[in-house]
Amino acid sequence: MGMKKQVELLAPAGNFESMMAAIQGGADAVYFGIEQLNMRARATMNFTLDDLEAVSKLCQKHGVRSYITLNTILYNHDLSLMKRIVDEAIKHQISAVIASDQAVINYASSKGLPVHISTQVNISNIETVKFYAHFADVMVLARELSMVQMKEITQAIEREQIKGPSGELVKIEVFAHGALCMAISGKCYLSLHTHNSSANRGVCIQNCRRTYDVKDRDEGHEFHIENEYILSPKDLNTLPFLDQLLDTGVSVLKLEGRARAPEYVKTVTKAYKEAIEAVQDGSFTQEKVDTWMAEVEKVYNRGFWGGYYLGKQLGEWSDSYGSKATTKKVYLGKGVRFFPKLGVGEFKIEGHQFAKGDTLLVTGPTTGVLEFTAEEIRVEDQAVETVANGVSCSIRVPEKIRASDKLYKIVAA
Amino acid sequence: MVIITHHRRKCIGCNYCVELAQAYWRMSKRDGKSVLLGAEEKKGVHTLRVGEEALEANEAAAKACPVNIIQVKVV
Repeated sequence: MGMKKQVELLAPAGNFESMMAAIQGGADAVYFGIEQLNMRARATMNFTLDDLEAVSKLCQKHGVRSYITLNTILYNHDLSLMKRIVDEAIKHQISAVIASDQAVINYASSKGLPVHISTQVNISNIETVKFYAHFADVMVLARELSMVQMKEITQAIEREQIKGPSGELVKIEVFAHGALCMAISGKCYLSLHTHNSSANRGVCIQNCRRTYDVKDRDEGHEFHIENEYILSPKDLNTLPFLDQLLDTGVSVLKLEGRARAPEYVKTVTKAYKEAIEAVQDGSFTQEKVDTWMAEVEKVYNRGFWGGYYLGKQLGEWSDSYGSKATTKKVYLGKGVRFFPKLGVGEFKIEGHQFAKGDTLLVTGPTTGVLEFTAEEIRVEDQAVETVANGVSCSIRVPEKIRASDKLYKIVAA
Repeated sequence: MVIITHHRRKCIGCNYCVELAQAYWRMSKRDGKSVLLGAEEKKGVHTLRVGEEALEANEAAAKACPVNIIQVKVV
């Protein structure tokens, strides 16, 4: 088993651009937040209840499963919104809800909406799997388990025939890529302590990503901790050992990143899609791993490590603030119109200049992510080599572009 | 006079304002966000004009708000 079973690739969507990017990258399913009851509660990373119909239609059109994250701690005043989100999810045929609070688990399961148990529950052993099997068919394991521990859990599910409400064996989901916490998920109160801003209500301010001094309180000596952001783990990346990860018998691979840009979502999703297929058809090689690694290094990352999966005792800490991505995007301007017969898009340039041969990126809620080389550029119907800021130009594009799109160039970081 | 403004749409429902200035704030059971009692709404911004006695508690609420959507001004 393991190698040949269906593996679902689950990608993050903080907005319509990223949702489209996930679909283009080859995701089998997407997860997203509605309103404020999820782990990325800030409004810019979420959809509203009014978006639910459009989200559902988009996912159904592309044959992608849709999961709502509803996994914060809940107070009494949240219960009616929680129920409304679940009711609306059922109405719009959303595939499942990702939950951690028993209020959500109980309500959704009583209404027949499939429940996935969030990593916020920190499932770390088989008895806990048995407990949640009363309510859920899919469970996300704590991110701190090793692959040995994952395999023990999936084997026990098979051996003891632990089934969820659907009557099928419980499926295990694990994080495959993206940011990690320095604490076991949900067990961190740093942000609440310093800023009243609870990670468990989706507003972590990420104290762990900063650099700290240590002060000797007896004599006042201060030490800067050498070279390391000691609370900031590098990002999880399982591409180098994806064959081993799938061999543990996990069924769903989750990519973190609802706060990430659409090109991040597409790049990472695509790399993992190809890697899963390579493992399944027996063509997973180091050479391919190197190619995928070069791709995911281009987009946001804090440096990579294998998380806790390889059984290392302590984390690997980031040595810098922010991203180590090898490329970055520079804003050029916005889409104006598309000429289908010519295959040409008109853009208003208002950020920076660009030139023939530059790698261009178009993102938008319907367009998703489109990357191509600027080969044919015209200004006032004359072919040109460069386009200055403030000018309107037309560019040959591989697909339709729209007035809701933004244009960027990709440059070395 | 004290003017309190609330950018309600961005509220995450943490409950701090209610804890710190109970006379002025309530949690809505409809959408789980806080309500500035008696405020007037204009383009999503809720505004309440009150006396100086409201200052201390509401400044504490504004300071505690994790998403910085409460402003308190003395005019």
